[in-house]
Amino acid sequence: MLIQEELSVQKKLEILSDAAKYDVACTSSGVDRKGKAGTLGNTENAGICHSFSADGRCISLLKILFTNQCIYDCKYCINRSSNDVPRTSFTPEEVCQLTIQFYRRNYIEGLFLSSGILHSPDYTMDLIYQTLKKLREEYHFHGYIHVKAIPGADPVLIEKTGFLADRMSINLELPTAEGLKKLAPGKSRSKILTPMKQIQRGITANRFELMEYKKAPSFVPAGQSTQMIVGATPENDFQMMMVAEALYQKYDLKRVFYSAFVPVNQDINLPALPGGPPLLREHRLYQADWLMRFYGFQAGELLSEDRPNFNTLLDPKCDWALRHLELFPVEVNLADYFTLLRVPGMGVKSAKRIIAARKNGPLDFDALKRIGVVLKRAIYFITCSGKMMYPVKINEDYICSHLIGDEKKKVWDISSSGTYRQISLFDTINVPTLTAAGGL
Amino acid sequence: MKTVYLCEDSVEGILSGVYTAWTSRKGHDNVKLKVMGAEDTMELFCQYEEVKADPVSAEKVAKAIKEKISSEAYTVVYKSALSMDLDRADKIYRFLIYGFHIGSRITSMLQQPEVFEIFQMCRHIDDERHLLTGFVRFVEMEGNLLVSRIGPKNDVVVLLAPHFADRMSGESWVIYDDNRKKAVLHPANRPWYLLDLISPEWESKLKKASEEDEYEKLFQCFRKSVSIKERENPVCQRSHMPLRYRPYMPEFSHGLKDT
Repeated sequence: MLIQEELSVQKKLEILSDAAKYDVACTSSGVDRKGKAGTLGNTENAGICHSFSADGRCISLLKILFTNQCIYDCKYCINRSSNDVPRTSFTPEEVCQLTIQFYRRNYIEGLFLSSGILHSPDYTMDLIYQTLKKLREEYHFHGYIHVKAIPGADPVLIEKTGFLADRMSINLELPTAEGLKKLAPGKSRSKILTPMKQIQRGITANRFELMEYKKAPSFVPAGQSTQMIVGATPENDFQMMMVAEALYQKYDLKRVFYSAFVPVNQDINLPALPGGPPLLREHRLYQADWLMRFYGFQAGELLSEDRPNFNTLLDPKCDWALRHLELFPVEVNLADYFTLLRVPGMGVKSAKRIIAARKNGPLDFDALKRIGVVLKRAIYFITCSGKMMYPVKINEDYICSHLIGDEKKKVWDISSSGTYRQISLFDTINVPTLTAAGGL
Repeated sequence: MKTVYLCEDSVEGILSGVYTAWTSRKGHDNVKLKVMGAEDTMELFCQYEEVKADPVSAEKVAKAIKEKISSEAYTVVYKSALSMDLDRADKIYRFLIYGFHIGSRITSMLQQPEVFEIFQMCRHIDDERHLLTGFVRFVEMEGNLLVSRIGPKNDVVVLLAPHFADRMSGESWVIYDDNRKKAVLHPANRPWYLLDLISPEWESKLKKASEEDEYEKLFQCFRKSVSIKERENPVCQRSHMPLRYRPYMPEFSHGLKDT
């Protein structure tokens, strides 16, 4: 192992941000905190993106590792102890300076501090705690801080850190215990879930405390999040979604992030992925995640044991709607909010606007377009004052073939059913296997 | 014959225009509002009349909107007046005709084209403001003064100022709108104010300060190393961060694209 002692801050930043980049969470949302006169920093509930890197991901926090030295040897991780990469470490002072100076120039929304495990979980957690304490108390920084809880660290340290941070996260990494055992031998499921439970309890207790004493310090006010790697182990989408759902329900998580597996190490236990990282699959998982968090869907509605993977050509909501045509078309001027939310092409904002606007008179398709409904998808599923926009057959094949272009449909036919058939003009395309086989 | 009222390009100017047009009693169909200075072809068979900005009549209109419609409607009108839309003055006028007729429900009546126009302008402004809260970049000049230059389409600098005043109350900072040659100034621990500012010399000063700022280089290197090569996606990046913001950001000083 190559430990570099005398590195410039720039070199350290390069190494330690490069090492942190595979962590997806870069959100700065979930807490609204006004600034304090004379000090630096506030937070906005919606979060603010400050820049976008070449891969199109937002840069909102200064995402760094405290150190990339690590005692664990997780197969998928660039910082695994058996890797020969330059190792270095920040000092608390350097992290504070970088955060403050970047923040003043409006480069970032706050700090995201993670770390490799140096010596022991307790030792590392304490280093993180000391850094946050310095930043909050000596530098009077009031901006957003997202920090990792180190699995296996002393609960007291985690609690103390939680009172300084806005969001805490512990990465689940792999959805099943077997996967974790295989790829991350140093970690175990219970080691990860114990602090997660602790933080959840802390947040709930703190909520009651805040109700009684307004001045009580807040504990992890922006909630906790976690991350799962997609495509490193053979779990299917259904398993991923069930795990995510359980995390939202049992652990009160704010967010579950999905990270398409990028092979950075060569290992016999890791998949090869010649087509690049599974980005489409990651995208579908995020779409479904949104459906669960904001649209009132359950994982079991979107996927099942027999259809364990998402359709690659249709988004999960269209896919669901096509399998439930008995519920459509929906009358826009009468349907309740939750029914509207389930119509493809309508989102939370447009559904709310529809509810507000139709109190003042009926809506027609023109008005829906203005309101922000994506008519391209919605016209197959809605009526306005009893009329559809065009004469549409409420028929799965018909709607499906319109929702996805002919070209894409061909690909889908081939990949999903395996029964390839030449498509000719004047031929109604009948896809009997549409419901049975989803996706790739 | 139609009368076109030319108002000054400010919230006060437009509201004064609304007042004059309304009280002219010529009928809503026979009047039109236009913002002065907008490069636009003049209409035939029209009579043009200039309206001076008048704080008293503007205040009257503002008060009427707040009391007879709602304070939300006033916010919406205020924002629309800052829009880049050339017809903003007339659109506000048409919106107010309905507003005074219908009352507070007007702001959710998106099926009404007049309301939708206003809604659209506000959405554009809000989106631009939100993006700029992230994309504004300060450069440290001598005396710890933080200076930023932006080139927004809409006149968002006054909407931007409260955010930074809350966030950086202890710092002295300036946000300069390059397109409208005006700036918001915030002295440390004091309230901010708006100022017309035309001076080429401090722009060169800004450029020099930017070259000397070591944190700019650190941020550039951070941006580069935090990107995952296997996932490169310039289209996605562009849709989140349009090219027009990039000339004002130091991380793109080498060119508008990451390569």
